[in-house]
Amino acid sequence: MTGIVRRLRRRPPRYSAAALVWRGMRGDHWPRIWRDTELKRSYDAVVIGGGVHGLATAYYLARNHGITDVAVLDKAYLGSGASGRNTAIVRANYLTPEGVAFYDRSLQLYNSMALDLNINVMMSERGHLTLAHSDSSLRTMHWRAEVNKLQGVNSSVIGPDEISEIAPSLDTSSHPRYPILGALHHPPGGIVRHDAVVWGYARAADHMGVELHQKTEVLDIVCEGGEGSNGKGAGGRVVGVRTNRGDISTPIVVNCTAGWAGLISAMAGVRLPITTHPLQAAVTEPVKVFLPTVVVSGSLHVYISQTDRGELVFGAAVDPVATYSIRGSLEFTEELAGHVLELMPSVSRMRLLRQWAGLCDMTPDYSPVMGFTPVDGFLVDVGWGTYGFKAAPVSGEQMAEAVATGRTPELISPFALSRFDTGELVGEKGAASVGH
Amino acid sequence: MTMSRLGTARPTEVVDRSSKVRFRWNGKRFSGFEGDTIASALAAAGEHVFSRSMKYHRPRGILTADYWDPNLMVQVGDDPNVRAGHRLLEAGMDVRAQNVWPSLHRDIKALNGLVGRFLTAGFYYKTFMRPAWLWPTYERVLATFAPGGRIDPDTPHRYHDKRYTHPDVVVAGAGPAGIEAALAASAAGARVLLVEHEHAVGGHLRYSSSASARAALAELRAALDASDVEVLTDSTVTGRYEDNWLAIVQRSHPIAVERLIKARAKMLVVAPGLIERPYVFAGNDRPGVITSGAARRLINLWGVRPGERAVVFAANSAGDAAAADLDRVGVEVAAVIDGRDHRRVSAAQGSPKAVEAVLAGGSRIEADLLVVAAGWTAPTSLLNMAGDRPVYDPAAARFFASDPPGNVLVAGGLAGDGSLDELRAHAAATGRLAAQRAAAVAHRLQARTARARPAEGAEPAWAPDERTPLDRDPHPELYRSDTHGMVDFSEDVGSKDLVAAAREGYDSVELAKRYTTATMGPSQGKLETVNTVAAIAEARGETIAEVGTTVWRPPFAPITLGALAGRVFEPVRVSSIQPWHEANGVTTILAGQWVRPDHYGDPAAEVRNVRTNVGLIDVTPLGKLDLRGPDIPKLLNLLYTNKWSKLAVGKVRYGMMCAEDGVVLDDGVTGRLGPDHYLMTTTSSGAGAIWEWVENWLQTERPDWKVHVTPVTTAYVSINVAGPKARELVGRVSEGVDVSPEAFAYMEVRTATVAGVDGCFMWRIGFTGELSFEIHAPAGHGLHVWEALMAAGKDLGVGPFGLEAQRIMRLEKGHFIVGQDTDGLTLGPSTGLSPLIKLDKDDFAGKPELAWATERRLPVIVAIQPDDAGVVPAEASQIVRGETNEILGRITSSRLSPTLGRSICLGQVEPELAAGGTKLTVLLTSGERISATVMDHHAHFDPAGERLRG
Repeated sequence: MTGIVRRLRRRPPRYSAAALVWRGMRGDHWPRIWRDTELKRSYDAVVIGGGVHGLATAYYLARNHGITDVAVLDKAYLGSGASGRNTAIVRANYLTPEGVAFYDRSLQLYNSMALDLNINVMMSERGHLTLAHSDSSLRTMHWRAEVNKLQGVNSSVIGPDEISEIAPSLDTSSHPRYPILGALHHPPGGIVRHDAVVWGYARAADHMGVELHQKTEVLDIVCEGGEGSNGKGAGGRVVGVRTNRGDISTPIVVNCTAGWAGLISAMAGVRLPITTHPLQAAVTEPVKVFLPTVVVSGSLHVYISQTDRGELVFGAAVDPVATYSIRGSLEFTEELAGHVLELMPSVSRMRLLRQWAGLCDMTPDYSPVMGFTPVDGFLVDVGWGTYGFKAAPVSGEQMAEAVATGRTPELISPFALSRFDTGELVGEKGAASVGH
Repeated sequence: MTMSRLGTARPTEVVDRSSKVRFRWNGKRFSGFEGDTIASALAAAGEHVFSRSMKYHRPRGILTADYWDPNLMVQVGDDPNVRAGHRLLEAGMDVRAQNVWPSLHRDIKALNGLVGRFLTAGFYYKTFMRPAWLWPTYERVLATFAPGGRIDPDTPHRYHDKRYTHPDVVVAGAGPAGIEAALAASAAGARVLLVEHEHAVGGHLRYSSSASARAALAELRAALDASDVEVLTDSTVTGRYEDNWLAIVQRSHPIAVERLIKARAKMLVVAPGLIERPYVFAGNDRPGVITSGAARRLINLWGVRPGERAVVFAANSAGDAAAADLDRVGVEVAAVIDGRDHRRVSAAQGSPKAVEAVLAGGSRIEADLLVVAAGWTAPTSLLNMAGDRPVYDPAAARFFASDPPGNVLVAGGLAGDGSLDELRAHAAATGRLAAQRAAAVAHRLQARTARARPAEGAEPAWAPDERTPLDRDPHPELYRSDTHGMVDFSEDVGSKDLVAAAREGYDSVELAKRYTTATMGPSQGKLETVNTVAAIAEARGETIAEVGTTVWRPPFAPITLGALAGRVFEPVRVSSIQPWHEANGVTTILAGQWVRPDHYGDPAAEVRNVRTNVGLIDVTPLGKLDLRGPDIPKLLNLLYTNKWSKLAVGKVRYGMMCAEDGVVLDDGVTGRLGPDHYLMTTTSSGAGAIWEWVENWLQTERPDWKVHVTPVTTAYVSINVAGPKARELVGRVSEGVDVSPEAFAYMEVRTATVAGVDGCFMWRIGFTGELSFEIHAPAGHGLHVWEALMAAGKDLGVGPFGLEAQRIMRLEKGHFIVGQDTDGLTLGPSTGLSPLIKLDKDDFAGKPELAWATERRLPVIVAIQPDDAGVVPAEASQIVRGETNEILGRITSSRLSPTLGRSICLGQVEPELAAGGTKLTVLLTSGERISATVMDHHAHFDPAGERLRG
């Protein structure tokens, strides 16, 4: 009951066309999207990482479970990591039934997000084409389509003529090198404005009482009773977090970081089978919109979409070498441009505007690590490789449930850390490696 | 404003008034002179509106009159977003305004300006949510606001090329400082590449009216002409990557549309000069409000009078120079407002062709031109890319380098201020230092890499930086006047938007940038970064240094995808037998990089011929690795799941490779040709990846092992001779090998001379299930060997067979194909080859995972036959539980067997369905469900393997 009252009291000023007009007429400023508060000395739960995963976890803790005494800590600004560096593609056309069910739930949450969070995240359900350039990839497309159909996910294999109709700029001629033989067409896939998702979760969580602390770097996780040094490691439990802004006591710490997930987990004495690779992306200058769908080519390691602002956004596979460096490379842009022109020669005169990189935490089975760890009170939602953005809503929802109930929800049980001790790895390599 | 061509030529003019160039602008005929940019020609013809702004479609005119001018983006033919302030006029150009409808002067979206107060930054995040079903329509409307030109779907990927160069010193920017640095470095013995963004060297000296500047420019040009410095104009150092790996975009190449130059420079001197920054006040984006640089360039480079009556706002000497230039060419200078005396311009108002300047305090001055000199932005982009974090100096009101790496030096305005002589002296010292350091780098590289020609003498010492630092002139911090105005001209973001964003909580520069899109447009912060930071600092009550700046990312100047891609070097691979295939009615199939024979008209007949007579298939793409060295058995034991220590010379063994997660990676046979010499074969599709896999293990995990790997896939043509009469045929053409079953048994390898070709390998294996000999002949003789076999086997009924026939036959035999019958989830034991997984070996790739996997119940590859022999379920058809949608497996391969006259399949099923005789339900892609039966063996045909051992 008190939870409901608090929620009503903290109800945010609604976003709507009428409110825009009203404030525009009166010349009123909008209030702060989230509060700027002092860091308290104790919380019921601390989430490390102010990206989409951390913010979604905090939001669902508050909304679904009434747990609002939560701090989200980020060493930079909200959405500064992979949340703001990904290419914002969402889809559910995975290969394994578990993968399909998980991502389909995420897609549902994305579809209702604008109304749920009262912020327009610009979910653009524009469809998603995964091109096949060989018989063997066409066979895989058929496989994915059949699995998707049985799971109630809209996917089908289409031929070059239909591809041309959807995306006339694609070169479907009988090209000698990478002919477009067909594609997996997934109409519910699309792109979302990634920053708006960050801000939407942050705003909604803040209004329910969650505290968001930027420029707050976690220096250590304080544990006791564990078998490692300083009470860390298996058998121990979390008692607090040390930050650059002071110490916090808390019984629950959720690690929602990417790029540094291994380092943060090591602070609790938990080792993760993660290597960190940069993933590069680039964007062109805007031109009038001509590409109405998301195009992916696994053989050419490229995915392409055009934003409503007219820019072409390109992504590729992760760099082969593990490193924390996020400087882009020249070779990436050269190879990327070559591959894009294989698919769409007519964009030869478009100019590359900017390139950047983000960090991807890769696990051996291209699947995340979610849920409880051998340290009591220390949970992880990490190892999200190149597919973290599209999974954020469902991950937050499930992680919140794990924190609130103390049990691993069924949907994320395949992703438990313990699978690396039993060998029961998840397999989404085929669909996830460049499958954006 | 009324612009026009000056009656008399300026001494600095770059246009050739005797040479007229005709072109079209929005469909109308115009003309300019040789040497004009598109914008200068249009300005001289009296045009004052060149584009419309992105959101409010406000008319926009010349702002900076150079490459970075955000208001001068036009479409030229099929080339979108052309910088009209930079692109030289060419005869017949079809130039059009972008993103306007129905026309540049009557643009319907200008109505947006009326509701601008509601369209604050990020307004779209706050609306268009209800009703949800209307959002797709809203989105389509929003997308029509995308700025920029149009892509013509027929634009070809024209000629592009790349150049690779290794200069000692690259100097980015050929203003007086850059030229001086290049000359000094060259004089000190360095090989120098000087790169200038504009069409000619000289920087600001080119448009300076002073006689001394003209004399200095003439002197520098003459020195440059006499030097060994290579000069590139209309080219930009656009990216700096690790170890001075530089991307230079050359727009001036005579043949290539645009060329990417990749330079590994030992030293980089950054001397790009400074970019003049707009001043933020109400109406600062109106046509007629221009920078002092634009005014001076228009007058002195192209002989264009920028207006009739001007107000000049001058906070520095560039503003004074502009006022003097205006006066000199007969423009009435109504007032000079001196920013150094705390005087300010508050607003620009007036009718479309007039600019009324409103001063702080309210007084007004009628004019048609407002020239603004408010300060400079330091283009620190290349320094950022080198890892430097430039720092803000409030006294000079701009950023300076903080601590760039030792192989990056800074000269010119980016380094400080001073007289021309002081800047030149500093730059010359910079050039000498660059040459000294380049020599040290060169020596070090020579000592490390070139064994043949060792570096001479001791390594030169790393020269210390003993340059006298330049002074920094004081400059007022002028960012925003007492009114709000435009900050990001390409994105239509005003200072008001930034203040509102900061108040709303987007108060770090990164958040504000993402929320308002300031600095995200085509100019990428060149003009607007510092004004953006200043607006946020003001809203937060902090200093610019406290707020900090965003990171400039490559590229500095945009580069076309065509130039980045260059020429397409993706090879199409064919075997040397391809001419024969083509002459004999082949239908090809693309497999990875290879074009392969799929069939020659009737695959079923090809199968029958192999099963009764003998057939030849070209399997050249089969991956082949030549292995040499004493530690090969160790390597094979590490990579394959089975044991290899006891393979005798002359023997061949099959092996399966698993990745570290236990998933099947590849399979193939490896034969021992000599004591320390093996030939490994891989799948055709895995040839490249397995080579990398082998090298990765050897180089990173077992560098002490003595194994040398040579990929020889394309060095040999591979021909499989299969069928009951294969021995007869092979015997006829081979010398030096006894092909009798006693002398050359199944799974053995021999060296032979085939059809007179020495150095062929031959092994007895059989993917088709028939007696077969696989011949690997030196690639150059492939066609000869193939034709010899064909000729020698005429009476035996020899014929070619393609991939399709081979796939049918291997399916009849139940051989799985890695990647088709297995997938990214298939663990070793699922293949039915558990006996080949030797967990008692010391170690091998995937062992721990395979140990776990053997204890688990995994999906299993089985042979399946539909109960209706005439139905062939499509590959990827799902195997389900009865009438439900529960997935229990799938068909991975299926064909109609010409040998058995029925449909046959391989599939993966759940372990409880793996036993022979189990009934399955297969869901066809049509939605129909059929019944099928699991077979006892993988082989549908000849399960005992009698034919292939024959």
